[in-house]
Amino acid sequence: DSHIQYERVGADVTMKCGSMDWDAAVTWMANGTDIDDSHLNGSYLILKNVDLTQSGQYFCYEGSSWHLKYQTILRVGVPPKEPVLMCRSNNYPKGFYCSWHLPSPTYIPNTFNISVIHGTREMVCEKDVFPKNRCHIRYLQLFSTVKYKVTLTVTNALGKNSTSLTFDEFAIVKPDPPESVVAKPVPNNPRRLEVSWQNPSSWPDPESFPLKFFLRYRPLILDQWQHVELSDGTSHTITDAYAGKEYIIQVAAKDNDIGTWSDWSVAVHATPWTEEPKHLTTEVQITETTSTSTSSFMPPPTTKICDKGAG
Amino acid sequence: MAAADTPSASLRHHDLCSRGIRLARKMRSDVTDLLDIYVEQQGLDASISVAAVEGVPAAAAERWAEQTGTQRLLDNLAAYRAFRVLLAQMLEEQREQLGDANGELGPALAAVLLQVSAFAYHLEELLELESRRTPAEEGSEPPAPPRLSLFEQKLRGLGVLRELAQWAVRSVRDLRQLAKHGPGSSAALGLADSQ
Repeated sequence: DSHIQYERVGADVTMKCGSMDWDAAVTWMANGTDIDDSHLNGSYLILKNVDLTQSGQYFCYEGSSWHLKYQTILRVGVPPKEPVLMCRSNNYPKGFYCSWHLPSPTYIPNTFNISVIHGTREMVCEKDVFPKNRCHIRYLQLFSTVKYKVTLTVTNALGKNSTSLTFDEFAIVKPDPPESVVAKPVPNNPRRLEVSWQNPSSWPDPESFPLKFFLRYRPLILDQWQHVELSDGTSHTITDAYAGKEYIIQVAAKDNDIGTWSDWSVAVHATPWTEEPKHLTTEVQITETTSTSTSSFMPPPTTKICDKGAG
Repeated sequence: MAAADTPSASLRHHDLCSRGIRLARKMRSDVTDLLDIYVEQQGLDASISVAAVEGVPAAAAERWAEQTGTQRLLDNLAAYRAFRVLLAQMLEEQREQLGDANGELGPALAAVLLQVSAFAYHLEELLELESRRTPAEEGSEPPAPPRLSLFEQKLRGLGVLRELAQWAVRSVRDLRQLAKHGPGSSAALGLADSQ
Protein backbone atom coordinates (compact mmCIF):
# COMPACT_ATOMS: atom_id res chain seq x y z
CA ASP A 1 0.00 0.00 0.00
CA SER A 2 1.78 3.05 -1.32
CA HIS A 3 1.05 6.09 0.71
CA ILE A 4 2.62 9.48 1.07
CA GLN A 5 4.79 10.18 4.03
CA TYR A 6 5.55 13.82 4.83
CA GLU A 7 8.62 14.71 6.81
CA ARG A 8 10.22 18.00 7.77
CA VAL A 9 13.56 19.04 6.38
CA GLY A 10 16.16 18.04 8.96
CA ALA A 11 14.06 15.32 10.53
CA ASP A 12 15.32 11.78 11.22
CA VAL A 13 13.10 9.24 9.43
CA THR A 14 12.73 5.53 10.19
CA MET A 15 10.87 3.28 7.80
CA LYS A 16 9.85 -0.28 8.65
CA CYS A 17 9.65 -2.86 5.89
CA GLY A 18 5.95 -3.43 6.26
CA SER A 19 5.32 -6.44 8.55
CA MET A 20 8.82 -7.83 8.23
CA ASP A 21 10.69 -8.55 11.45
CA TRP A 22 13.56 -6.33 12.48
CA ASP A 23 16.10 -9.01 11.72
CA ALA A 24 14.63 -10.06 8.37
CA ALA A 25 16.84 -9.84 5.28
CA VAL A 26 15.50 -7.09 3.07
CA THR A 27 16.54 -4.76 0.26
CA TRP A 28 15.58 -1.10 0.21
CA MET A 29 15.47 0.95 -2.98
CA ALA A 30 14.90 4.66 -3.49
CA ASN A 31 13.87 5.98 -6.88
CA GLY A 32 15.16 2.78 -8.48
CA THR A 33 18.52 2.81 -6.75
CA ASP A 34 19.70 0.40 -4.05
CA ILE A 35 20.23 1.98 -0.66
CA ASP A 36 23.44 0.86 0.90
CA ASP A 37 23.52 -0.92 4.22
CA SER A 38 24.90 2.08 6.08
CA HIS A 39 21.32 3.39 6.16
CA LEU A 40 19.91 0.17 7.56
CA ASN A 41 19.33 -0.86 11.15
CA GLY A 42 18.26 -4.45 10.75
CA SER A 43 15.42 -4.28 8.26
CA TYR A 44 14.63 -0.67 9.19
CA LEU A 45 15.65 2.16 6.88
CA ILE A 46 17.11 5.11 8.81
CA LEU A 47 17.38 8.47 7.11
CA LYS A 48 19.12 11.11 9.21
CA ASN A 49 18.54 14.87 8.84
CA VAL A 50 16.56 14.45 5.61
CA ASP A 51 16.71 17.08 2.94
CA LEU A 52 14.61 17.94 -0.10
CA THR A 53 16.67 15.70 -2.39
CA GLN A 54 15.58 12.66 -0.41
CA SER A 55 11.98 13.08 -1.48
CA GLY A 56 10.95 10.18 -3.70
CA GLN A 57 9.61 6.65 -3.90
CA TYR A 58 10.95 4.06 -1.47
CA PHE A 59 10.47 0.30 -1.91
CA CYS A 60 11.33 -2.60 0.43
CA TYR A 61 11.69 -6.16 -0.90
CA GLU A 62 11.94 -9.38 1.05
CA GLY A 63 15.56 -10.59 0.79
CA SER A 64 15.33 -13.85 -1.11
CA SER A 65 11.94 -13.77 -2.80
CA TRP A 66 12.09 -10.11 -3.86
CA HIS A 67 8.50 -9.82 -2.83
CA LEU A 68 7.57 -6.14 -2.49
CA LYS A 69 6.78 -5.71 1.17
CA TYR A 70 6.50 -2.00 1.49
CA GLN A 71 6.49 1.13 -0.60
CA THR A 72 6.00 4.77 0.24
CA ILE A 73 6.39 8.18 -1.29
CA LEU A 74 8.50 10.36 0.92
CA ARG A 75 7.85 14.06 0.61
CA VAL A 76 10.29 16.26 2.47
CA GLY A 77 9.12 19.80 3.11
CA VAL A 78 8.46 22.49 5.70
CA PRO A 79 5.39 23.82 7.52
CA PRO A 80 3.90 27.01 6.00
CA LYS A 81 5.11 30.40 7.16
CA GLU A 82 2.59 33.19 7.84
CA PRO A 83 0.97 33.86 4.46
CA VAL A 84 0.90 37.32 2.88
CA LEU A 85 -2.68 38.49 2.32
CA MET A 86 -3.89 41.51 0.34
CA CYS A 87 -7.44 42.70 -0.28
CA ARG A 88 -8.41 45.37 -2.74
CA SER A 89 -11.42 46.78 -4.56
CA ASN A 90 -10.58 47.66 -8.13
CA ASN A 91 -14.19 47.44 -9.27
CA TYR A 92 -15.98 49.46 -6.57
CA PRO A 93 -18.84 49.30 -5.72
CA LYS A 94 -19.25 45.76 -7.04
CA GLY A 95 -16.96 44.07 -4.59
CA PHE A 96 -13.36 43.34 -3.69
CA TYR A 97 -10.89 40.55 -4.12
CA CYS A 98 -8.30 39.05 -1.79
CA SER A 99 -5.12 37.42 -2.98
CA TRP A 100 -2.39 35.67 -1.07
CA HIS A 101 0.95 33.97 -1.34
CA LEU A 102 3.43 32.24 0.91
CA PRO A 103 6.64 34.12 1.63
CA SER A 104 8.65 30.95 0.98
CA PRO A 105 7.90 27.56 -0.59
CA THR A 106 6.95 24.54 1.50
CA TYR A 107 7.75 21.93 -1.19
CA ILE A 108 4.64 20.02 -0.27
CA PRO A 109 0.97 20.67 -1.09
CA ASN A 110 -0.82 23.39 0.91
CA THR A 111 -4.48 24.11 1.28
CA PHE A 112 -5.79 27.64 1.85
CA ASN A 113 -8.98 28.55 3.64
CA ILE A 114 -10.30 32.10 3.72
CA SER A 115 -13.08 33.55 5.82
CA VAL A 116 -14.57 37.02 5.35
CA ILE A 117 -16.60 38.45 8.21
CA HIS A 118 -18.52 41.71 8.02
CA GLY A 119 -19.92 42.52 11.43
CA THR A 120 -21.72 39.33 12.31
CA ARG A 121 -22.15 38.14 8.74
CA GLU A 122 -19.88 35.64 6.98
CA MET A 123 -19.48 36.44 3.31
CA VAL A 124 -18.76 34.08 0.46
CA CYS A 125 -15.39 34.41 -1.20
CA GLU A 126 -15.74 32.96 -4.67
CA LYS A 127 -12.46 31.40 -5.67
CA ASP A 128 -11.02 32.16 -9.08
CA VAL A 129 -10.00 29.25 -11.27
CA PHE A 130 -7.01 31.37 -12.20
CA PRO A 131 -5.09 32.74 -10.52
CA LYS A 132 -5.62 30.07 -7.88
CA ASN A 133 -4.62 32.15 -4.89
CA ARG A 134 -7.40 34.67 -5.28
CA CYS A 135 -11.10 35.01 -4.54
CA HIS A 136 -13.84 37.59 -4.93
CA ILE A 137 -16.36 38.98 -2.48
CA ARG A 138 -19.46 40.86 -3.59
CA TYR A 139 -20.53 43.86 -1.50
CA LEU A 140 -23.89 43.21 0.08
CA GLN A 141 -23.86 46.59 1.74
CA LEU A 142 -22.32 49.91 0.80
CA PHE A 143 -21.23 52.84 2.99
CA SER A 144 -20.92 50.66 6.05
CA THR A 145 -18.88 51.78 9.06
CA VAL A 146 -18.53 48.17 10.11
CA LYS A 147 -15.09 46.81 9.32
CA TYR A 148 -14.36 43.70 7.28
CA LYS A 149 -12.19 40.99 8.80
CA VAL A 150 -10.52 38.53 6.42
CA THR A 151 -8.71 35.54 7.87
CA LEU A 152 -6.55 33.25 5.74
CA THR A 153 -5.43 29.88 7.06
CA VAL A 154 -2.86 27.75 5.26
CA THR A 155 -2.40 24.12 6.17
CA ASN A 156 -0.11 21.37 4.99
CA ALA A 157 0.86 17.97 6.36
CA LEU A 158 3.60 19.52 8.47
CA GLY A 159 1.79 22.46 10.04
CA LYS A 160 -0.58 25.36 9.86
CA ASN A 161 -0.39 29.14 9.85
CA SER A 162 -2.74 32.05 9.39
CA THR A 163 -2.99 35.78 9.00
CA SER A 164 -5.84 38.25 9.07
CA LEU A 165 -6.67 41.73 7.82
CA THR A 166 -9.21 44.19 9.18
CA PHE A 167 -10.21 47.12 7.04
CA ASP A 168 -12.88 49.64 6.20
CA GLU A 169 -14.88 49.45 3.00
CA PHE A 170 -13.36 52.65 1.62
CA ALA A 171 -9.77 51.97 2.56
CA ILE A 172 -9.17 49.18 0.04
CA VAL A 173 -10.62 50.96 -2.97
CA LYS A 174 -7.80 51.22 -5.48
CA PRO A 175 -8.63 51.34 -9.20
CA ASP A 176 -6.52 49.72 -11.88
CA PRO A 177 -4.32 52.11 -13.88
CA PRO A 178 -5.90 54.11 -16.70
CA GLU A 179 -5.81 52.37 -20.08
CA SER A 180 -5.10 53.31 -23.72
CA VAL A 181 -2.88 56.22 -22.80
CA VAL A 182 -2.00 58.17 -25.97
CA ALA A 183 0.24 61.23 -26.31
CA LYS A 184 0.44 63.25 -29.52
CA PRO A 185 2.20 66.41 -30.64
CA VAL A 186 -0.04 69.37 -31.47
CA PRO A 187 0.70 70.62 -35.00
CA ASN A 188 2.23 74.10 -35.08
CA ASN A 189 2.68 74.06 -31.28
CA PRO A 190 6.26 73.22 -30.40
CA ARG A 191 5.58 73.25 -26.65
CA ARG A 192 2.37 71.21 -26.48
CA LEU A 193 1.52 67.57 -26.16
CA GLU A 194 -2.01 66.19 -26.14
CA VAL A 195 -2.51 63.28 -23.74
CA SER A 196 -5.64 61.15 -23.60
CA TRP A 197 -6.54 57.92 -21.77
CA GLN A 198 -9.48 55.79 -20.77
CA ASN A 199 -10.98 54.74 -17.46
CA PRO A 200 -9.72 51.29 -16.44
CA SER A 201 -12.10 48.78 -17.94
CA SER A 202 -12.40 47.06 -14.57
CA TRP A 203 -14.11 50.14 -13.05
CA PRO A 204 -17.79 49.37 -13.52
CA ASP A 205 -19.57 52.75 -13.37
CA PRO A 206 -17.37 55.79 -13.88
CA GLU A 207 -20.44 57.99 -14.24
CA SER A 208 -21.79 57.30 -10.78
CA PHE A 209 -18.37 56.69 -9.27
CA PRO A 210 -16.14 59.09 -11.19
CA LEU A 211 -12.39 58.81 -11.11
CA LYS A 212 -9.92 61.62 -10.89
CA PHE A 213 -6.50 61.40 -12.48
CA PHE A 214 -2.90 62.28 -11.84
CA LEU A 215 -0.64 62.89 -14.82
CA ARG A 216 3.13 62.94 -14.58
CA TYR A 217 5.49 63.81 -17.40
CA ARG A 218 9.14 64.67 -17.93
CA PRO A 219 11.57 64.98 -20.80
CA LEU A 220 13.77 61.89 -21.04
CA ILE A 221 16.79 64.09 -20.46
CA LEU A 222 15.57 65.07 -16.98
CA ASP A 223 14.78 63.03 -13.87
CA GLN A 224 12.33 65.45 -12.26
CA TRP A 225 8.68 64.68 -12.99
CA GLN A 226 6.07 67.37 -13.43
CA HIS A 227 2.62 66.54 -12.08
CA VAL A 228 -0.90 67.71 -12.69
CA GLU A 229 -4.08 66.50 -10.97
CA LEU A 230 -7.27 66.43 -13.04
CA SER A 231 -10.60 66.09 -11.29
CA ASP A 232 -12.53 65.08 -14.38
CA GLY A 233 -12.17 64.28 -18.00
CA THR A 234 -9.78 61.83 -19.64
CA SER A 235 -7.49 64.13 -21.56
CA HIS A 236 -5.07 66.95 -20.93
CA THR A 237 -2.86 69.21 -23.00
CA ILE A 238 0.65 69.76 -21.73
CA THR A 239 1.54 73.33 -22.62
CA ASP A 240 4.99 73.72 -21.13
CA ALA A 241 6.92 70.99 -22.91
CA TYR A 242 10.48 71.67 -23.99
CA ALA A 243 10.42 72.01 -27.76
CA GLY A 244 11.90 69.08 -29.61
CA LYS A 245 12.53 66.96 -26.51
CA GLU A 246 11.10 63.44 -26.18
CA TYR A 247 8.76 63.09 -23.23
CA ILE A 248 7.69 60.15 -21.07
CA ILE A 249 4.14 60.34 -19.72
CA GLN A 250 2.12 58.26 -17.22
CA VAL A 251 -1.32 58.54 -15.63
CA ALA A 252 -2.82 57.26 -12.35
CA ALA A 253 -6.44 57.13 -11.20
CA LYS A 254 -8.35 57.39 -7.93
CA ASP A 255 -11.97 57.38 -6.92
CA ASN A 256 -13.10 60.95 -6.53
CA ASP A 257 -14.03 60.53 -2.89
CA ILE A 258 -12.45 57.44 -1.32
CA GLY A 259 -9.57 55.01 -1.44
CA THR A 260 -6.06 55.31 -2.83
CA TRP A 261 -4.34 56.03 -6.13
CA SER A 262 -3.87 53.32 -8.70
CA ASP A 263 -0.44 52.28 -9.88
CA TRP A 264 0.97 54.32 -12.75
CA SER A 265 -0.22 53.45 -16.21
CA VAL A 266 2.04 52.09 -18.86
CA ALA A 267 4.45 54.86 -19.91
CA VAL A 268 4.02 56.47 -23.33
CA HIS A 269 6.53 58.59 -25.19
CA ALA A 270 5.99 61.59 -27.43
CA THR A 271 7.92 64.56 -28.81
CA PRO A 272 6.31 67.93 -29.36
CA TRP A 273 5.76 69.15 -32.92
CA THR A 274 8.85 70.69 -34.52
CA GLU A 275 9.01 72.81 -37.67
CA GLU A 276 10.11 70.94 -40.81
CA PRO A 277 13.79 71.80 -41.56
CA LYS A 278 13.79 74.36 -44.49
CA HIS A 279 15.72 73.48 -47.76
CA LEU A 280 18.44 76.25 -48.06
CA THR A 281 20.28 76.64 -51.43
CA THR A 282 23.73 78.32 -51.05
CA GLU A 283 24.52 81.57 -53.08
CA VAL A 284 27.11 79.87 -55.38
CA GLN A 285 24.52 77.50 -56.70
CA ILE A 286 22.13 80.35 -57.52
CA THR A 287 24.65 82.24 -59.71
CA GLU A 288 25.74 79.08 -61.53
CA THR A 289 22.26 77.91 -62.34
CA THR A 290 21.28 81.25 -63.82
CA SER A 291 24.35 81.48 -66.19
CA THR A 292 24.19 77.98 -67.65
CA SER A 293 22.23 77.42 -70.77
CA THR A 294 19.43 75.03 -70.84
CA SER A 295 21.62 72.13 -69.77
CA SER A 296 20.09 69.41 -67.65
CA PHE A 297 18.92 70.52 -64.14
CA MET A 298 21.55 70.03 -61.41
CA PRO A 299 19.87 69.59 -58.01
CA PRO A 300 21.56 72.10 -55.61
CA PRO A 301 23.24 70.67 -52.47
CA THR A 302 20.91 71.07 -49.37
CA THR A 303 22.11 72.76 -46.18
CA LYS A 304 20.13 71.94 -43.02
CA ILE A 305 19.30 74.91 -40.89
CA CYS A 306 19.48 74.11 -37.18
CA ASP A 307 16.50 75.69 -35.77
CA LYS A 308 18.15 77.98 -33.18
CA GLY A 309 14.89 78.16 -31.53
CA ALA A 310 15.17 74.51 -30.34
CA GLY A 311 16.01 74.07 -26.54
CA MET B 1 -45.74 66.07 -11.72
CA ALA B 2 -45.72 68.43 -14.69
CA ALA B 3 -43.80 71.10 -12.78
CA ALA B 4 -40.91 68.70 -12.32
CA ASP B 5 -40.44 68.16 -16.01
CA THR B 6 -40.00 71.72 -17.26
CA PRO B 7 -36.56 72.71 -18.68
CA SER B 8 -36.10 75.22 -15.90
CA ALA B 9 -36.87 72.53 -13.35
CA SER B 10 -34.26 70.29 -14.97
CA LEU B 11 -31.70 73.05 -14.85
CA ARG B 12 -32.55 73.81 -11.25
CA HIS B 13 -32.44 70.11 -10.42
CA HIS B 14 -29.01 69.75 -11.95
CA ASP B 15 -27.81 72.86 -10.18
CA LEU B 16 -29.16 71.67 -6.82
CA CYS B 17 -27.54 68.26 -7.33
CA SER B 18 -24.14 69.64 -8.18
CA ARG B 19 -24.22 72.18 -5.36
CA GLY B 20 -25.36 69.39 -3.06
CA ILE B 21 -22.42 67.25 -4.15
CA ARG B 22 -20.01 70.07 -3.39
CA LEU B 23 -21.67 70.67 0.00
CA ALA B 24 -21.50 66.97 0.87
CA ARG B 25 -17.85 66.69 -0.16
CA LYS B 26 -16.94 69.74 1.91
CA MET B 27 -18.91 68.34 4.83
CA ARG B 28 -17.10 65.04 4.54
CA SER B 29 -13.73 66.74 4.58
CA ASP B 30 -14.71 68.80 7.63
CA VAL B 31 -16.18 65.80 9.44
CA THR B 32 -12.95 63.89 8.81
CA ASP B 33 -10.98 66.75 10.36
CA LEU B 34 -13.49 66.95 13.21
CA LEU B 35 -13.05 63.24 13.86
CA ASP B 36 -9.31 63.74 14.30
CA ILE B 37 -9.88 66.61 16.74
CA TYR B 38 -12.57 64.63 18.59
CA VAL B 39 -10.46 61.51 18.99
CA GLU B 40 -7.51 63.51 20.24
CA GLN B 41 -9.42 65.80 22.58
CA GLN B 42 -11.51 62.97 24.02
CA GLY B 43 -8.43 60.81 24.53
CA LEU B 44 -9.79 57.98 22.43
CA ASP B 45 -7.93 55.44 20.31
CA ALA B 46 -8.60 56.16 16.64
CA SER B 47 -8.89 52.46 15.84
CA ILE B 48 -11.43 51.74 18.55
CA SER B 49 -14.48 50.06 17.14
CA VAL B 50 -17.86 51.39 18.08
CA ALA B 51 -20.96 49.25 17.95
CA ALA B 52 -24.00 50.62 16.16
CA VAL B 53 -25.22 53.58 18.18
CA GLU B 54 -28.91 53.70 18.90
CA GLY B 55 -30.68 56.59 17.25
CA VAL B 56 -27.90 57.19 14.74
CA PRO B 57 -29.01 56.52 11.16
CA ALA B 58 -26.72 53.95 9.58
CA ALA B 59 -25.28 54.91 6.22
CA ALA B 60 -24.87 51.26 5.29
CA ALA B 61 -27.31 50.36 2.56
CA GLU B 62 -28.16 47.06 0.95
CA ARG B 63 -29.26 47.08 -2.69
CA TRP B 64 -28.26 50.73 -2.75
CA ALA B 65 -28.07 50.68 -6.51
CA GLU B 66 -31.75 49.82 -6.79
CA GLN B 67 -33.05 52.77 -4.79
CA THR B 68 -35.25 55.29 -6.52
CA GLY B 69 -34.36 58.95 -6.53
CA THR B 70 -37.11 59.79 -4.07
CA GLN B 71 -36.05 57.03 -1.70
CA ARG B 72 -32.54 58.42 -1.75
CA LEU B 73 -33.73 61.90 -0.91
CA LEU B 74 -36.05 60.72 1.84
CA ASP B 75 -33.38 58.51 3.42
CA ASN B 76 -30.84 61.33 3.26
CA LEU B 77 -33.24 63.87 4.72
CA ALA B 78 -34.22 61.62 7.61
CA ALA B 79 -30.55 60.98 8.35
CA TYR B 80 -29.42 64.60 8.33
CA ARG B 81 -32.36 65.69 10.45
CA ALA B 82 -31.29 63.07 12.97
CA PHE B 83 -27.67 64.22 12.79
CA ARG B 84 -28.79 67.79 13.38
CA VAL B 85 -30.30 66.70 16.70
CA LEU B 86 -27.37 64.45 17.61
CA LEU B 87 -24.73 67.09 16.89
CA ALA B 88 -26.69 69.68 18.85
CA GLN B 89 -26.75 67.27 21.79
CA MET B 90 -23.02 66.67 21.45
CA LEU B 91 -22.38 70.40 21.37
CA GLU B 92 -24.46 70.82 24.52
CA GLU B 93 -22.60 68.02 26.24
CA GLN B 94 -19.28 69.59 25.31
CA ARG B 95 -20.34 72.91 26.80
CA GLU B 96 -21.51 71.23 29.96
CA GLN B 97 -18.30 69.22 30.34
CA LEU B 98 -15.70 71.72 29.26
CA GLY B 99 -17.41 75.09 29.18
CA ASP B 100 -15.42 77.44 26.98
CA ALA B 101 -12.32 75.32 27.36
CA ASN B 102 -13.44 72.88 24.71
CA GLY B 103 -10.65 74.19 22.47
CA GLU B 104 -11.09 73.47 18.79
CA LEU B 105 -13.77 70.88 19.34
CA GLY B 106 -16.68 73.18 20.07
CA PRO B 107 -16.23 75.46 17.05
CA ALA B 108 -15.53 72.51 14.77
CA LEU B 109 -18.67 70.75 15.98
CA ALA B 110 -20.72 73.91 15.55
CA ALA B 111 -19.39 74.38 12.01
CA VAL B 112 -20.35 70.84 11.01
CA LEU B 113 -23.75 71.25 12.65
CA LEU B 114 -24.31 74.28 10.46
CA GLN B 115 -23.35 72.31 7.34
CA VAL B 116 -25.65 69.45 8.31
CA SER B 117 -28.53 71.88 8.75
CA ALA B 118 -27.77 73.53 5.41
CA PHE B 119 -27.58 70.17 3.70
CA ALA B 120 -30.90 69.08 5.21
CA TYR B 121 -32.47 72.25 3.87
CA HIS B 122 -30.88 71.55 0.48
CA LEU B 123 -32.44 68.09 0.43
CA GLU B 124 -35.84 69.58 1.21
CA GLU B 125 -35.47 71.86 -1.79
CA LEU B 126 -34.66 68.90 -3.99
CA LEU B 127 -37.65 66.98 -2.68
CA GLU B 128 -39.92 69.91 -3.38
CA LEU B 129 -38.55 70.03 -6.90
CA GLU B 130 -39.56 66.40 -7.21
CA SER B 131 -43.05 67.73 -6.39
CA ARG B 132 -42.97 65.69 -3.24
CA ARG B 133 -44.21 67.01 0.06
CA THR B 134 -41.30 67.19 2.47
CA PRO B 135 -42.06 64.90 5.40
CA ALA B 136 -42.78 66.88 8.54
CA GLU B 137 -40.18 66.65 11.28
CA GLU B 138 -41.28 64.37 14.11
CA GLY B 139 -42.55 66.48 16.96
CA SER B 140 -40.95 69.72 17.98
CA GLU B 141 -39.00 68.38 20.95
CA PRO B 142 -36.13 66.03 19.96
CA PRO B 143 -35.85 62.85 22.08
CA ALA B 144 -33.74 63.34 25.21
CA PRO B 145 -30.28 61.77 24.90
CA PRO B 146 -29.86 58.51 26.81
CA ARG B 147 -28.26 58.74 30.27
CA LEU B 148 -24.67 57.57 29.66
CA SER B 149 -21.38 57.54 31.47
CA LEU B 150 -18.78 60.01 30.28
CA PHE B 151 -16.88 57.30 28.39
CA GLU B 152 -20.06 55.97 26.83
CA GLN B 153 -20.91 59.52 25.78
CA LYS B 154 -17.51 59.85 24.13
CA LEU B 155 -17.96 56.56 22.26
CA ARG B 156 -21.42 57.56 21.19
CA GLY B 157 -20.06 60.83 19.81
CA LEU B 158 -17.40 58.92 17.92
CA GLY B 159 -20.06 56.65 16.47
CA VAL B 160 -22.14 59.65 15.41
CA LEU B 161 -19.23 61.33 13.63
CA ARG B 162 -18.08 58.16 11.92
CA GLU B 163 -21.54 57.47 10.64
CA LEU B 164 -21.88 61.07 9.48
CA ALA B 165 -18.62 60.76 7.53
CA GLN B 166 -20.00 57.69 5.79
CA TRP B 167 -23.30 59.46 5.07
CA ALA B 168 -21.44 62.33 3.47
CA VAL B 169 -19.86 59.92 0.97
CA ARG B 170 -23.16 58.20 0.42
CA SER B 171 -24.87 61.52 -0.19
CA VAL B 172 -22.31 62.41 -2.86
CA ARG B 173 -23.11 59.11 -4.58
CA ASP B 174 -26.84 59.54 -4.13
CA LEU B 175 -26.79 63.02 -5.59
CA ARG B 176 -24.74 61.82 -8.52
CA GLN B 177 -27.32 59.17 -9.20
CA LEU B 178 -30.02 61.85 -8.98
CA ALA B 179 -28.07 64.15 -11.28
CA LYS B 180 -27.98 61.39 -13.88
CA HIS B 181 -31.76 61.41 -14.00
CA GLY B 182 -33.88 64.51 -14.31
CA PRO B 183 -36.29 65.69 -11.66
CA GLY B 184 -39.45 63.67 -11.14
CA SER B 185 -37.92 60.44 -12.44
CA SER B 186 -37.88 58.02 -9.54
CA ALA B 187 -36.75 55.18 -11.82
CA ALA B 188 -34.40 52.74 -10.13
CA LEU B 189 -30.98 53.17 -11.51
CA GLY B 190 -29.19 50.98 -13.98
CA LEU B 191 -26.36 50.17 -11.66
CA ALA B 192 -28.48 47.35 -10.24
CA ASP B 193 -27.95 45.06 -13.19
CA SER B 194 -24.21 45.58 -13.05
CA GLN B 195 -23.90 45.07 -9.26
